[in-house]
Amino acid sequence: MTNLVYLVPLFPLIGFLINGLGWRKIPKAAGGIIGSVAILASFAVSLGIFFEVKSTGASTVVHLFDFIQSGTLYIPFSFQVDALSSLFLLIITGIGFLIHVYSTSYMHEDEGMVKYFAYLNLFVFSMLLLVLGANYLIMFIGWEGVGLCSYLLIGFWFKNRDYTNAAKKAFVMNRIGDLGFLVGMLLILFNYGTLSYQEFFGQLNGGQVQLSANMYNWIAICLFIGAMGKSAQIPLYTWLPDAMAGPTPVSALIHAATMVTAGIYMIARSSALYNLAPAALNLVAIIGLATAILAASIAIRQYDIKKVLAYSTVSQLGFMFLALGVGAYTTAVFHVMTHAFFKALLFLGSGSVIHAMGGEQDIRKMGGLNKHMKITGITFLIGCLAISGIPGFSGFFSKDEILASVYAHSPVMYYMALGAALMTAFYMFRLYFLTFTGSFRGTEEQHHHLHESPAAITIPLIVLAILSVVGGYVGLPPVISEHHTLNTYLGSVLSNFNVHHLEHSTEWILMGLSTGLVIAMIIVARVATKNPKFAENTGLAKVLENKWYVDELYDAVIVRPLGVLADVLDRFAEKMGVDGVVNGTGRLVRWSSDRVRLLQTGQVGFYIFVMVIGIAVIFALRFFGLNY
Amino acid sequence: MKAIIAATVLGVILMFAGLFVKEKKSVASLAVFLLFVLLGVNIWDLVTTAPNETLSFFNNMLRVDRYALWFNTLMTGCTLLYALLVSKEIQRVGSHVAEYFALICFILCGVYMLSTYNNVLILFIGIEILSIPQYILAGSDKRNLKSSEASLKYFLMGAFSTGILLMGITLLYGATGTFNIIQYTFLQSDMLSPMALAGILFLMVAFAFKVSAAPMHMWTPDVYDGAPTPFTAFMATIVKASAFVAFMRLFSVSFGAISSDWMMVLAIITAATLFVGNITAVFQQSVKRMLAYSSIAQAGFMLFAVLAVNATAWQGMMIYAVAYSVATIGMFAVLMKMKDYTYDGFNGLAKKDPMLAAFTTVFLLSLAGIPLTGGFMAKYFVLLAAVEQGKMMWLVIFALFMAAVSAYYYFRVIMAMYFKQGNAELNTEVSATDRFLLAITVLLVIVLGAAPNLILNI
Amino acid sequence: MNFLLLAANQQTPFSYLPVAIQLLVGIGFVVLTIGASQFLGPKRSTADKLINFESGIPSVGNARQPMAIKYFLVAILFVLFDVEVIFFYPYAVNFKELGQEGFWAVIMFVAFFLSGFIYIVKKGALDWED
Repeated sequence: MTNLVYLVPLFPLIGFLINGLGWRKIPKAAGGIIGSVAILASFAVSLGIFFEVKSTGASTVVHLFDFIQSGTLYIPFSFQVDALSSLFLLIITGIGFLIHVYSTSYMHEDEGMVKYFAYLNLFVFSMLLLVLGANYLIMFIGWEGVGLCSYLLIGFWFKNRDYTNAAKKAFVMNRIGDLGFLVGMLLILFNYGTLSYQEFFGQLNGGQVQLSANMYNWIAICLFIGAMGKSAQIPLYTWLPDAMAGPTPVSALIHAATMVTAGIYMIARSSALYNLAPAALNLVAIIGLATAILAASIAIRQYDIKKVLAYSTVSQLGFMFLALGVGAYTTAVFHVMTHAFFKALLFLGSGSVIHAMGGEQDIRKMGGLNKHMKITGITFLIGCLAISGIPGFSGFFSKDEILASVYAHSPVMYYMALGAALMTAFYMFRLYFLTFTGSFRGTEEQHHHLHESPAAITIPLIVLAILSVVGGYVGLPPVISEHHTLNTYLGSVLSNFNVHHLEHSTEWILMGLSTGLVIAMIIVARVATKNPKFAENTGLAKVLENKWYVDELYDAVIVRPLGVLADVLDRFAEKMGVDGVVNGTGRLVRWSSDRVRLLQTGQVGFYIFVMVIGIAVIFALRFFGLNY
Repeated sequence: MKAIIAATVLGVILMFAGLFVKEKKSVASLAVFLLFVLLGVNIWDLVTTAPNETLSFFNNMLRVDRYALWFNTLMTGCTLLYALLVSKEIQRVGSHVAEYFALICFILCGVYMLSTYNNVLILFIGIEILSIPQYILAGSDKRNLKSSEASLKYFLMGAFSTGILLMGITLLYGATGTFNIIQYTFLQSDMLSPMALAGILFLMVAFAFKVSAAPMHMWTPDVYDGAPTPFTAFMATIVKASAFVAFMRLFSVSFGAISSDWMMVLAIITAATLFVGNITAVFQQSVKRMLAYSSIAQAGFMLFAVLAVNATAWQGMMIYAVAYSVATIGMFAVLMKMKDYTYDGFNGLAKKDPMLAAFTTVFLLSLAGIPLTGGFMAKYFVLLAAVEQGKMMWLVIFALFMAAVSAYYYFRVIMAMYFKQGNAELNTEVSATDRFLLAITVLLVIVLGAAPNLILNI
Repeated sequence: MNFLLLAANQQTPFSYLPVAIQLLVGIGFVVLTIGASQFLGPKRSTADKLINFESGIPSVGNARQPMAIKYFLVAILFVLFDVEVIFFYPYAVNFKELGQEGFWAVIMFVAFFLSGFIYIVKKGALDWED
């Protein structure tokens, strides 16, 4: 089965080619079916690979063909099949398939539906390349591929100027991160002469090439800058909330469940490097924690249903980086998985709501939707319970594991992280209560129009809701069970670094504390939204509503000065310097052409004369001096 | 060896065919058929020779190795492609179609001799066999004054350069007492007599004339411009490539050990060729004349292979010969379809015949050396050879700058086709066969760019 | 003359000195004799000396008249076949030594020339009247 791994990215690629080349001709329904079947096929293969890896625990490199071969540089195009990548394969193709099915209904009205499916397949293809690559370059190809798809899909409704601006913003922010990734890759290549995981980690562990600790840190930090861009961490997180301009299923797939977790995958993959770079690891933890708190605080005062979820995603990604930063790599991967389930569920639920509301996204105009959309309401509630960390739901297990690891690392960070977790519970239930309970606050027309979504939308919701509940049981906390299924599975490639186990009593206390406080926060949220009044925000609330004015800050500190600098360069360096040199060269060439051309008189006598002069000069040069 | 005899006999057959067959079309078909036979003979020669085998013929006058056989095969293949593409235009030049093809066969005979000679007398005979038919072909459009002028100019200057060649051979014989090029390898730098050195320099000048390197290039624009276009296409490609292989055979094999004695002079010739070819091409108004200057400029690049004197240089020469010939033949084939040979004649071709315009673009990109085309690989290999040799980095940099200048005049045609308004008039209808053959040529250009090893690993 | 011999034995540009001297002597002799006859000879220029003179009969018309291309064609073909005959002299001298192989080589040589001859006859190059 492992040898068939190339089929996994191949199916989406074929789907992309069919839909992409024929998007003007293929009927909408057919396009949806082609797109979905392609992902289903690769899901089936992924499942086979998953079980094979599970039984053998082997880590195989599948060589496809030689990609770059130049001098001592050798980069093959090969895939790495092991526990980590096979788990990601399942998440990507599984959730990807559900979202494709969901999209067949959600995008039904759209004219560019076939094109949409082509992009979506291309995205899945790139994402699979990213996680399957057996060296950093293949990962980078996938990395850029998903960035491109993200850009295309955010700006999918490109007739809206704001949407294309959001797409541009995402692209530029990602490029900044990519630069870091690229520099990191080049540093690895420069120091180790290879980009292959096997060889690189082998040399790291074997210690053949000893570098200063600083160098490890620099490489690790450069890679982390790449992760910052892709996974929306401070300071490069502002693109993700804006990315909600894309169709909602896209937000669910790309900007919640899969693409944004690429950074976590990359750092988990490079754990051998990060283990040698303590400073970089600390930076990861601090950035993760800061992002978790900042994004959660912003989410409290957002009114757009998708914006709340977007900030929640940023915040949850912060949690994952926090886990990575304290060395709990498997925990981070665990949270990636559970988060993929419940965040996809929440986004798809919000899509269902938006669909029912006829495109309205402002929660101030919603309310009481429970009565009209039972399935959406219940599944959304399950999602909220999961993300808030109510015992029994998947989010509880993974978040608890993160908090326990953080506590073992540093109690101060634990309390801060707990604060972020409590904010999460608050804003999620504020969102839930405002949307689904109380009375309807929208227009009469919207009220009349409210309806439950069709089966293609509700079935993925139900499947994801089930997964959001049971998904956590693969990683039971040590106080309940000694056997941690996910850790055992990942054990062959990934093990936690420097993580101390807590006393069972301490762990019980922490669990009880967080659960109690979360329930308290839910009650607070209930009270706060009992009689919603949406007065103009003042003070801190206003700052939060405006996202801490980070966008404005970036604009003032970076964008404007750069604009001024560019203007100056354009006027002076460009017009006078570069243009002058370029045009001058052109003019010189034309001028000399005009002169040299006159040599061609058309008279044989003159030609032979030139030849003779030439011969004389050649002889003179050779016999009197010029020589090697 | 078989190929030399076959080329001669087939040429004679064609001459006689012209006496008995009056229909131009049947003569052209016969010629194409005979060229197929010639290609077959070349392949026969190739497959019956083991990869590392070297054969001698005529008392060691000819020395046949795998490289030479492969070169001959490829050049015959290019000639066949050329004959297929332009046979209609050749029929339009004049009434002696059989003779034109016979002369092409004789030129091929000269090509084979130039790639296998082991004796400078054979080199001399080969160059004469190569040149004399060209004088006739250049003047074959008898009613056109420019054609006659080109023929006469070419003949006069060719005779002059032949004299120089003989002078070089004589001096070299005086210094060494032999005509055998292998014997010349015993020449040593520290005891090189002025006579031998003068001989080498005269030979270099004579070759420079044949490959149209500056300052012996003056005939090229006038002759290429004046000669009937189908024959210009032949002269600028296959003939020039084989003159280069002869040049390289002598200077790499015989004088390779004393390369330090002539390298600087040849480097200056190369620089001058690159400069004159590229710079003068910029101001031309006629695409045909531009292609003449472009052939001088391309010769400048091929000179790198002669300069480098290493294994990569031989590979570079092979791929340059083929890539340059294929792209230039294609470009000339398109040019012959045009009514107006100036840049303005190409205005708006993309609207009128998008397929033809696309083909032309590929040929021009290859000539300019844009990646993914054969021309890029060719330039890459010859410059790589020079870099490996390491003594002439300044020249490599200069060549790269000149390659950038060359993009100007090649892209002007593309600009005219795609961005200018106009009604590009075609001389003749472009038939489906023409399109098919041009498509094959385009394919060859791209295959050479993607997989140059196809013709390098033999 | 000793130093000249010495120079000639060395492989330097200097060894061409004898050639240069001979060149100078040659040119000098020609210039000297022509110049001397110009100065020394008696000169009496009259109009009668400048007109064409042929056997005492007054000349008719211009000597430079365009001639038919046929003359040149026949002349050049004559030279071509004439040169072929010249090749037989060395062959005749070495007839025995060259043996069978030489015989067939010459037969081939003649055959090619013969086919060339047939070609020009067929092509009508030797037809005087059009």
